[in-house]
Amino acid sequence: MIRSWSPVVARERVAEETFWLEFDAPEIAEQAAPGQFVMVGFGASSWGTPFLPRPNSVAAAPDGRVGLLIRVYGAGSRRISELALGERVLLLGPLGTRFELGDARNVLCIAGGVGLAPFLLLPRWLDRQGREANLRLLYGERVGAVVFNPEKIQEIAGIEADIWTEDGSRGSRGTVLDGTGLDGADLVLSCGPTAMLKAVRSLARTAGVPCQLAVEEHMACGMGTCIGCAIPTIDPETGEDVYSLVCTEGPVFAAERLRW
Amino acid sequence: MVDLSQELFGTTFQNPVLLASGTCGYGEEYSDLIAVDELGGIVTKAVTPERRLGNPPTRISETPAGMINAIGLANVGLDGFKREKLPWIREHLSRAKVLVNVAGRSVEDFVGVVEGLEDEDGFLGYEINVSCPNVEGGTMFGTDELSLAQLVAALRRATRRPLVVKLTPNVAEIGNFARICEENGADGLSTINTFPGMLIDVETRRPVIGNVTGGISGPAIKPMGVFATWKATSRVEIPIIGIGGICNARDALEYILAGASLVQIGTAMFADPFTAPDTIRGLREICERQGVTRAADLVGALEVR
Ligand SMILES: Cc1cc2nc3c(=O)[nH]c(=O)nc-3n(C[C@H](O)[C@H](O)[C@H](O)COP(=O)(O)OP(=O)(O)OC[C@H]3O[C@@H](n4cnc5c(N)ncnc54)[C@H](O)[C@@H]3O)c2cc1C
Ligand SMILES: Cc1cc2nc3c(=O)[nH]c(=O)nc-3n(C[C@H](O)[C@H](O)[C@H](O)COP(=O)(O)O)c2cc1C
Repeated sequence: MIRSWSPVVARERVAEETFWLEFDAPEIAEQAAPGQFVMVGFGASSWGTPFLPRPNSVAAAPDGRVGLLIRVYGAGSRRISELALGERVLLLGPLGTRFELGDARNVLCIAGGVGLAPFLLLPRWLDRQGREANLRLLYGERVGAVVFNPEKIQEIAGIEADIWTEDGSRGSRGTVLDGTGLDGADLVLSCGPTAMLKAVRSLARTAGVPCQLAVEEHMACGMGTCIGCAIPTIDPETGEDVYSLVCTEGPVFAAERLRW
Repeated sequence: MVDLSQELFGTTFQNPVLLASGTCGYGEEYSDLIAVDELGGIVTKAVTPERRLGNPPTRISETPAGMINAIGLANVGLDGFKREKLPWIREHLSRAKVLVNVAGRSVEDFVGVVEGLEDEDGFLGYEINVSCPNVEGGTMFGTDELSLAQLVAALRRATRRPLVVKLTPNVAEIGNFARICEENGADGLSTINTFPGMLIDVETRRPVIGNVTGGISGPAIKPMGVFATWKATSRVEIPIIGIGGICNARDALEYILAGASLVQIGTAMFADPFTAPDTIRGLREICERQGVTRAADLVGALEVR
């Protein structure tokens, strides 16, 4: 785990309320794997908002940089989205678990909103590992205005996204699930709103395809000390109802462990 | 050379900076990032007789200059603590002093944990978390003078180790509660635990926190923590550990000047895990600049007029 005050080296508004930021943080970039996240904070001495750091998935790791896809949600993500070039933030990471591909050959990635982030890292990360797999990426948003530009996705991730919007103003009309014939997939990975993750899980379960989901919960430390980001899960050994920490036991969980 | 050490509870703390209960796990969690054994000490997550799963989500959220939490004392329980956590502490912490934070819902719960730990080594003493509801009385131990007196007296009979009682600020006159602890045999006090609070999502019209209410911590509560520390020191002779919103050496010094012999850092460790080592360094620098050779001389050195 690395702690570093890292400057913003690139910043771009990529869609409505959505920003692409890159930080100079070579050690984190080197270690980060898809699904893992960094805590983005401002240190303990500034007690404006945010005081606590905010979790964000590592979305790219080119040339010693950590790329993040930030959607403005409240005051903290707004502050992060407004960072100026050269301004430093305190990064802590990489944290959490990653998607485990095992020996899957055909991997279906289903992203909702900024749940796209880990799947932007995935293709190049696999290349770096010398690992081959056929990736198919479905990316859904509610409306066209917030869709992350497909050319930029291609540039960052080297992958084509199959885009779905509920209003049909970009890509196909409907939700990502309308595009999901699991055809041939031997692994499903997903990240996005909980309602979508639940639907993905039942699809995968029906098809008998293994499924891993990256989930979110409020966090303070990101490293297991505050025990704040617990979500209800099933203990894989005992079958008991327990809680698991999204920061250290997740954010990526085998779908069947989640107790929703 | 500035001497930051503090003599109390029959031992020497190498410096006055400890990590607060519930914000540093059992020490091991931070060991990747900071030299935990260089700190004054740590206070463990609360230990209860049985393992506790804790509250449903959402457990935490940011609030102005701090946070709200309702973790629900999730912890590994007495046996889990002895089996899984104490061995690491024993092996890695020799200079940093360890207080085990103890929680329960009845006097028997608290005494049971303390008795269960008495024969173990690797820690100095106990910090008793009295911000827990008393299942018998219905109120919190820490807000009811009679149940607090009974609890402290029972614990005093159960241990000869340093017994520190962590007070809640949620009382009209904290000095009275400080007195009660001293009279019933406590060796020290920690001031303060979190303030009760709420956070409401106006869109959903629901509380943000799964438990509905929670405890407020962080810089927002620092002035109240300093006040509580100052009030408590005026009523007792036993040493006090100052807690609440400490983010740096200046904050720590406020508590020390108000009468605290030691301080604990909690929420600020989430904002930056280097807060505690930076605070130790900062204390040394401030002492040097002010020509203070022994930080212990600053305890209670507040000049009110
Ligand atoms: C593992 C993980 C990865 C994430 N990756 C990304 C990403 O790549 N891009 C992105 O835009 N967002 C991501 N998020 C969500 C992001 O952390 C929240 O949008 C952000 O914390 C909201 O903070 P705020 O101050 O803007 O909102 P507020 O609502 O003002 O925040 C108040 C409090 O709630 C917490 N909070 C609110 N919503 C969330 C949430 N969904 N998840 C966690 N904490 C929340 C905040 O941290 C803060 O403590 C991720 C979350 C997690 C847990
Ligand atoms: C997430 C969290 C968990 C906590 N858990 C405990 C606990 O188990 N026992 C206890 O006595 N205090 C607990 N506390 C209170 C802290 O130890 C401390 O008294 C309080 O947070 C004020 O200090 P701070 O402002 O530096 O955080 C907890 C606080 C937080 C934020």
